[in-house]
Amino acid sequence: MRSALFALLVAGILSAQWASAAVAGSLEEQTLRLAAELRCPVCQNLSVADSPSEMATQMREVVHEKLQNGESPDQIRNYFVSRYGEWILLAPTRQGFNWVAWLLPFVAIVGGGGIIVLTIRRSIRRGHKGNVEPSGSTDPRYTSQLDEELKEWEQ
Amino acid sequence: MIATLGRFSIWFALAIAVYGVCVSILGIRRHRPALIESAQGAIVSIFGLSSFAVLLMEAGLVGHDFSLEYVARNASLDTPVFYTIIALWGALEGSILLWIWLLGLMSVLAVMIESKRQRELMPYVTVVLLCISAFFLFLAAFPASPFTTISPVPPDGRGPNPLLQNHPLMAVHPPGLYAGYVGWAIPYAFGMAALISGRLGETWIRTVRRWSLVAWGFLTIGIIVGGRWSYEVLGWGGYWAWDPVENASLLPWLTGTAFLHTIMIQERRKMLKFWNVALVIITFALTIFGTFLTRSGILSSVHAFSDSGVGPLFLGFIGVVLFLSFSLLVYRSDKLQAEGDLDSLVSRESAFLVNNLLLLGFAFSVLLGTLFPLLSEAVRGVKVSVGEPFFNTVNVPIGLSLIFLMAIGPLIAWQHASIESLRRTFAGPLCLSIMGTGICWFFGVRGLYPLLAFGLSLFTVITVCQEFVNGARTRRRKTGEGYLTALSKLTSRGRRRYGGLIVHLGVAFLVIGITASSVFKLEQEVTLKPGESLQLGRYQVRFDDLSAWQEPHRFVVQGNFTIFNSNHKVAEMRPAKRFYPTEQQPIGTVDVRSTMREDLYLVLSSFAKDGTSATVKALVRPLMMWIWVGGWIMILGSLIAIWPDRRRALAADSVEEYVAWQPGRS
Repeated sequence: MRSALFALLVAGILSAQWASAAVAGSLEEQTLRLAAELRCPVCQNLSVADSPSEMATQMREVVHEKLQNGESPDQIRNYFVSRYGEWILLAPTRQGFNWVAWLLPFVAIVGGGGIIVLTIRRSIRRGHKGNVEPSGSTDPRYTSQLDEELKEWEQ
Repeated sequence: MIATLGRFSIWFALAIAVYGVCVSILGIRRHRPALIESAQGAIVSIFGLSSFAVLLMEAGLVGHDFSLEYVARNASLDTPVFYTIIALWGALEGSILLWIWLLGLMSVLAVMIESKRQRELMPYVTVVLLCISAFFLFLAAFPASPFTTISPVPPDGRGPNPLLQNHPLMAVHPPGLYAGYVGWAIPYAFGMAALISGRLGETWIRTVRRWSLVAWGFLTIGIIVGGRWSYEVLGWGGYWAWDPVENASLLPWLTGTAFLHTIMIQERRKMLKFWNVALVIITFALTIFGTFLTRSGILSSVHAFSDSGVGPLFLGFIGVVLFLSFSLLVYRSDKLQAEGDLDSLVSRESAFLVNNLLLLGFAFSVLLGTLFPLLSEAVRGVKVSVGEPFFNTVNVPIGLSLIFLMAIGPLIAWQHASIESLRRTFAGPLCLSIMGTGICWFFGVRGLYPLLAFGLSLFTVITVCQEFVNGARTRRRKTGEGYLTALSKLTSRGRRRYGGLIVHLGVAFLVIGITASSVFKLEQEVTLKPGESLQLGRYQVRFDDLSAWQEPHRFVVQGNFTIFNSNHKVAEMRPAKRFYPTEQQPIGTVDVRSTMREDLYLVLSSFAKDGTSATVKALVRPLMMWIWVGGWIMILGSLIAIWPDRRRALAADSVEEYVAWQPGRS
């Protein structure tokens, strides 16, 4: 179960990488996709693609123009970073300290998963050793109570 | 007059809260039931006084008493009465008042309903609830007093923030969210009572499960309605921006969901005692953290409508809560040992454990992402943003794994699931959902995530339906009832199980809606002259003209559009821009045409002042409605699970669970 989960996570991260890198599309689609990675500087928390503000409209036009001039998405990103700082990117770049944000959740989940598997294994072993009475399900007290109550309800 | 009475009632309530805390501690130490009853009386009085304060505030708002600073800032002569009434939660001070009132209400209900059954725990529950009340009353008495006066008295107020007087859902969203936040105080108080008194059996767990469901249900309503509000008011075409305040409401929802699942293990198997108390502490702390984020302005947010200096007090309170609670937890850890053992890696118990791991992992990544800008600034001195692209990349795989567990979890046997039983239960649904995924692919769905999302949601729907059908069939065979009778009786005999399954069904609808509406979204922004149209998907959007008029409290410019679907006129849509005298930027009003198949969403981006052109942003979002339908199904499911059963005696409780929780039995 652990390895399956891990494989799923890795597959997820990889496919997200491919999805963001490979797919092209019309100029408008590319513009919107790139604009979705940029933060609208005058809004509270919206991307340039989503924001209805004038500032965002202008920035979309800049992106569109630059794409038309044949600039690569990376060049355009760098252009905005040089003007506004890293803050303009809605996802932290995958380098240096930012890896903490990207990887820590998965490290925590894989670590927690390991602990869970170990705990279950230990608990099973302990259960086999002290296997004097089988657990709850066949307790005669409950069974009789159960039958009584069931009869009562059916009426 | 109002100010004096209001301030008096809050101070008085604070004094009573402090009195109640002292008296109940004394009562517990000296075993004096009279003192404990007096403390419960304190809870009732606080509720009475806070109701009075709320009424006073409403009287001030509706009566336009601008000598009150809060009224002057959040009401005006021109604001419609409805929005004047709900301005109570338009800013910090009023929200804290609402919070106090809700906490008072829940505490009174808890005392009324549980004090007979929980004689041992109740005194401690009272202490904890009174302490929480005292903190919020302190806020309302000093740093965030809603009854501060100003002089000279202004002739008119500023009115509420235009975004808050633009949509009737504002009447539901904040109170729902607050009721969800406040509701977790009850399970927390019971958890603490169990820790302090050392009565750490299953009693407190059995008592809080319904209270937790209530809190969870309100939180769900608050979040879903908040998304709807965002979609219809903020005008960017989305409903969830991974905004700090939205994230803050999601955090206790995630940990609370984990709690609702693991208490079942403790009830049945007497395990995870330590973990359950820890979860309820974390959830409660996160609700306070959510209020703190909403109201402190420490992170910029589309929902933060007030800044103030109460931030440090909130942080201090969270610190004290976490420190005291976890110290107690560690102190009592020897009493929190598991009494049972697990039997197999493949069992309902394991599924719940992995579910908890993923829910907590999800919550952790949301918390980390929300706070990472602060962290980065502290460590590197560089401001970064963490927004939608980050959260989607990290959380979508976790979310998909959770949906997988959601589909299989309720059907795996407790203790040990044999290969044979797994095959019998899942072979059919698995085949059907793989076929369904194939059909999705055939109709042009591409990409791993969308296909997984559709396939897993379908898998959930099929397994839930299978469970209902099998149960009803068995009942029918035994009792000879009609199919519908059997189905409804089945549900009412195992409300918690079947309510829970209906919630799962709602989540599946929600996921289908989220996936379809974001992956197949069509979007266009075009400037049109009157008579020109744009083509988007099946729709032709024709711009007719602009109209403009003055309303008492605002000026409105509206674009008139006619919508055609393959040359048939299907609708007229009127997105607008509203100009408020107090705001520099106009507030957009979107127009949405919703059907089960798709939403058409129009925003008037800008216009030429002479009316010769308008720029319109149009979006088509398929299956958008499914998100709201899914939300309502979730709420319906939790209502079914919460609904009290009159015929059921107290002693029968455990037996009912015993019957209802036999998995995959047919």
